[in-house]
Amino acid sequence: MHDFLYQRPTQLPEASQWAKEHVDYKLLAGGMSLIPSLKMRLSQPAGLIDLSAIDALKGVRIEGDELIIKAMTPHAEVAIDKNVRQGIRALCELAAGIGDPLVRNRGTIGGSLANADPAACYPSAVLALNATIKTNQREIAADQFFLGLFETALHPGEIITEIRFPKPKAAAYWKFRQPASRFSLVGVFVAQTNTGVRVAITGAADTVFRHTEAEQRLNVQFHPSALKGLFMSEKNMNSDIHASAQYRAHCIDVITERAVAMALNLPPQKES
Amino acid sequence: MSASIQSAKIGDSVIRKEDHRLVTGAGCFSDDVNLPGQAYSVMLRSPHAHAKVLGIHTKNALKCPGVISILTGQDLITDKIKAIPHRPFSPHPADIMLTNSDGSEMFMAPHYPLVVDKVRHVGEAVAMVIAESLAAAKDGAEAIEVDYEILPSVTDTVSAAKKNAPRVFDTAPSNVCLDAETGDREKTEQAFAKAAKIVSFTTWIPRITGVPLEPRAAVGEYTDNGRHYTLHAGTSGAWRTQMDIAIMLGVHEDHVRVITKDVGGHFGTRGMLYGEFLLVVWAARRVGRPVKWTCDRQEAFVSDYQARDLAVEAELALDEKGHFLAIRGSNISNAGGHTTNFSPLRKGVEIMSTIYRMPAAFFRARGVVSNTAPTRPYRSSGRPEVIYVMERLIDLAALACGIDRVTLRRINLLQNHEMPYTNPFGMVFSDGDYHQSMEKALRMADWDGFEQRRQEAKTRGQCRGIGIANYVDTASGVPRERAEMTLRADGTVEVIIGTVSTGQGHETSFAQLVTDWLGVPFDQVKILTGDTQFVKFGGGTHSGRGLRLASIVIHSACQTIIKKGKRIAALLLKCEPSVIEFKEGVFYQKGELGQESQGGPVSLTQVAEASMGLTDLPEELQGPLRAIGDETVTVAEFPYGCQVVEVEIDPQLGSLKIINYTAVDDVGRAVNPAIIHGQVHGGIAQGVGQALMEQAHYDPVSGQLLSGSFMDYAMPRASDFPFFNAQYIEIPSKTHPLGMRPAGEGGTAPALGVMINAICHALQDYGVKHVEMPATSERIWQAIQQAQATKTS
Amino acid sequence: MPNVSLTINGKKISQPIEARTLLVQLLRDQLSLTGTHVGCDTSQCGCCTVHLNGKGVKSCAVLALSCQDSVITTIEGLAEGETLHPMQQAFREGHALQCGFCTPGMIMAGIDMVKRKGYELDEKTVREELEGNLCRCTGYHTIVKAIQAGARAMKNL
Repeated sequence: MHDFLYQRPTQLPEASQWAKEHVDYKLLAGGMSLIPSLKMRLSQPAGLIDLSAIDALKGVRIEGDELIIKAMTPHAEVAIDKNVRQGIRALCELAAGIGDPLVRNRGTIGGSLANADPAACYPSAVLALNATIKTNQREIAADQFFLGLFETALHPGEIITEIRFPKPKAAAYWKFRQPASRFSLVGVFVAQTNTGVRVAITGAADTVFRHTEAEQRLNVQFHPSALKGLFMSEKNMNSDIHASAQYRAHCIDVITERAVAMALNLPPQKES
Repeated sequence: MSASIQSAKIGDSVIRKEDHRLVTGAGCFSDDVNLPGQAYSVMLRSPHAHAKVLGIHTKNALKCPGVISILTGQDLITDKIKAIPHRPFSPHPADIMLTNSDGSEMFMAPHYPLVVDKVRHVGEAVAMVIAESLAAAKDGAEAIEVDYEILPSVTDTVSAAKKNAPRVFDTAPSNVCLDAETGDREKTEQAFAKAAKIVSFTTWIPRITGVPLEPRAAVGEYTDNGRHYTLHAGTSGAWRTQMDIAIMLGVHEDHVRVITKDVGGHFGTRGMLYGEFLLVVWAARRVGRPVKWTCDRQEAFVSDYQARDLAVEAELALDEKGHFLAIRGSNISNAGGHTTNFSPLRKGVEIMSTIYRMPAAFFRARGVVSNTAPTRPYRSSGRPEVIYVMERLIDLAALACGIDRVTLRRINLLQNHEMPYTNPFGMVFSDGDYHQSMEKALRMADWDGFEQRRQEAKTRGQCRGIGIANYVDTASGVPRERAEMTLRADGTVEVIIGTVSTGQGHETSFAQLVTDWLGVPFDQVKILTGDTQFVKFGGGTHSGRGLRLASIVIHSACQTIIKKGKRIAALLLKCEPSVIEFKEGVFYQKGELGQESQGGPVSLTQVAEASMGLTDLPEELQGPLRAIGDETVTVAEFPYGCQVVEVEIDPQLGSLKIINYTAVDDVGRAVNPAIIHGQVHGGIAQGVGQALMEQAHYDPVSGQLLSGSFMDYAMPRASDFPFFNAQYIEIPSKTHPLGMRPAGEGGTAPALGVMINAICHALQDYGVKHVEMPATSERIWQAIQQAQATKTS
Repeated sequence: MPNVSLTINGKKISQPIEARTLLVQLLRDQLSLTGTHVGCDTSQCGCCTVHLNGKGVKSCAVLALSCQDSVITTIEGLAEGETLHPMQQAFREGHALQCGFCTPGMIMAGIDMVKRKGYELDEKTVREELEGNLCRCTGYHTIVKAIQAGARAMKNL
């Protein structure tokens, strides 16, 4: 790892100032992806702004119909948080399945979203739940946030402060793990929201995306049976040593049905 | 439970001596060694699979702050460093010989620790950078420019064997280094000609890598005074490493010391000298200070010796009643980018028919090189591959013949009265009750109750399958071992031995032997290994030879100690040695144990004290009571057993869960049951890993290793397994003087076959005949899709 | 060079370090606490697990400077004199190690698990919670059992 300058502000304005003045610095928000990439010299920032000492960026609260998770809240805390459990149980379950327990003690929601790993879990929740990403500069709708492989709408120096999740009527996340990394080979987040059903897929393509055909059918009837005969195209699907595009597309078909069943608390599907 | 009150004889699950230090973080693994003034080194590795090295430009790198020196293959040549002394086969009279069928010599080429002409696989070391710090060494490595002329590469085993394949060695006529025939061609052809049924099976046992959790590390030292080299590194045996380094340096072995302390796993990967171990001692001489090297995990994936990688075409002939008549086919083993080792090819093909009655057999066995990391024997070398082939053939034959697969095994499994049995390749299986282990496994797994469990699984939409596989593990390896035993006046027994524990708990199980045989308290037995300062010979830890040979040489040394002790005791008791008996650490006159009698009994400690203190002893009995056990064991051992596995498959996704895993192993005579069970469990996990998920995946075009980190190389985790249902039986071996059979490889040997058999059984209703390894979710799902497509078309 | 101050195994440490120093490097290279191991570079093997302010973390993915004013416990800090921590004792008695390289991380992860999941751990929980710790020797059988036993023994701490 190349050496770098290091700042660990305790206040958000201070962090914002550093970030604004040093666009060649990177934000450290848990570091579960960033530090390994620094170690392998894949990333060589001039400096790091460690956000871990800013207490104002941690915690969960409910405001009206919204669940708000602050950016530096670790996955382990989201997984057991009462507000999250009451508000959006699927988010607890998602957080409880990220990485491993030791990673969950360190990794944060803000870090995960800013990194935008195509196989990460949180992006699917943010997209399916139609969340809003609040930064130190503005608010970004989930649909505008994820732009591509490790690419988001964040400007250099922009700091995610919190994520506002509208509470859905029903939601579920079903993750099928890649056997080595245990990231999502395919992960499907299904949410029945006030503005309609939203289905977000992670792990399958170069970025998280919405499964609009499934959404249309589920808007007619929010039930697994509504998806019968719907086949995801393998076009744009990733193909690598862990799964072909064809298999990933197939997994999306199966897992989307299962996620809907899970959201509805239906018993597991038997093979037809 | 405290160590002092636990019984610590043969057969007790003694708490390991090693574990107090290992659970408190007080172990000493290779990277824990740091020497004053040490420099740090980094290997610059080839990004290409096959390329000529036209030039290495180090000027800019040498300017990097902290960089001390950069060494290349040219420097090796200048210093007259010799190539790594690979031994493609470990010599053992019990194994068959493989030689080129046209009578020519097998092709071998020198393998240098740094590339001298061209790189032959991704990750081959091209230059060594030595610097004040690790970071500076990495900076230096980044600044080196290498001119490569990229050449076409070949990684796939069958492709590498073809005439027109890119040539790994320009001096060889092809990539096929060894092309042997074994068995009886004519007899086999005759058997096939009259067969009622012939089943054929073509498969590839994928390339994997051992992944001991401790990455390799080494520190080299050199002192001008005495021109002495010292290597601190995790090896499987210090003595063999010392010899190899001495050969490469061209110095007498007395000028090389190798120190191995705790070793974080081995499994075969550490069984041969690694080039970096030579490099650190050589570099220490070049730069005049100790040099350290620690392997990154990603570096380990490209540069550790890899394993398996066998392409097989096999056919089995049966008569109308299901008796096996003959087996024939071809095995191609992939040695990787250097002619390191062809032992797995031999260890496999010689037992192609495993423990079944096979009147005839004929196989072609080829060893090829390719643009991949070199391979070596890996846990149960060669056997899991061929056992998998045989056990798959049996299940396929059962389907083809309409005979129940257990019945088919019962018909053909060798009976006790047929032992010793000479198999059609010439291997002699000394003894074993194969039916007993199989029937026990079937009972333990409740084979007969399976159908009910399958029906229940069906109600949950799950396909349940059960599989069975028998195994034999031909344990041979380096035949000689040596133990040097000294009884100190304080009652301590020191045993110096040439094996190194890489997790097997030698400090404990070897001490149990001494405790049992000499009656010395367990706490007072010290097993000393891993330092050539005192270890004068040792074959190392491999081939199920650790306890198997240690027990023989320790027993021999104990007998000598007792014999000498009797003479001293006789002097103390003023009687003839012939009337002295020894039991539980005490010498006594015949018939007098437990009775107050004149001057007796005397303890072993008293005898040891006397040997040190009494001046009126005959000269040969004066000084510390000492004995050497040094034996060359030319017979092999044949541990065997059976595994039964039950799986459930989610047919929509192809995902799999192991529900029950049953293992039965004949260990002959158990020394430490807990250690044995641990060996079996770990062996199973490695076998299952290969069957389900592991693969060193090379891109067929670029030759890049695509599974170069834990992000892409799937390792078995805790959630992949149930608790194992493992039991052993103890039928004393007829060829081991103490009845012991090795237990280290039996977990792995049948695991590949049993897993794939269980998977195929689960998918039988779909018409699936076979799933290749690793049987990933996608592979399973694809197999279902293809079988269904075949059905409908 | 920046300075880091923290408490390791009950001992206050203040040390100048390069910013890029990982917690595991501080422990192993500068403080000679070599019981914490490094088994990979992608934060998957768990050999480097330590407790940071009471929570299990992978010290190969934590910057030492991020631990300013923190309390760290490593494998060397568990036993009290000759008395092993119940989790260490459970591993030892249960033959839950072979080569011992993953063991410090397993023990630290096991204790972290108990803190989060309680003293009565079922097999499924332990197996799932070991997601971040690899072992190549044991097949996990005895490790799972030892963590269950260690968890029960921790009740009496």
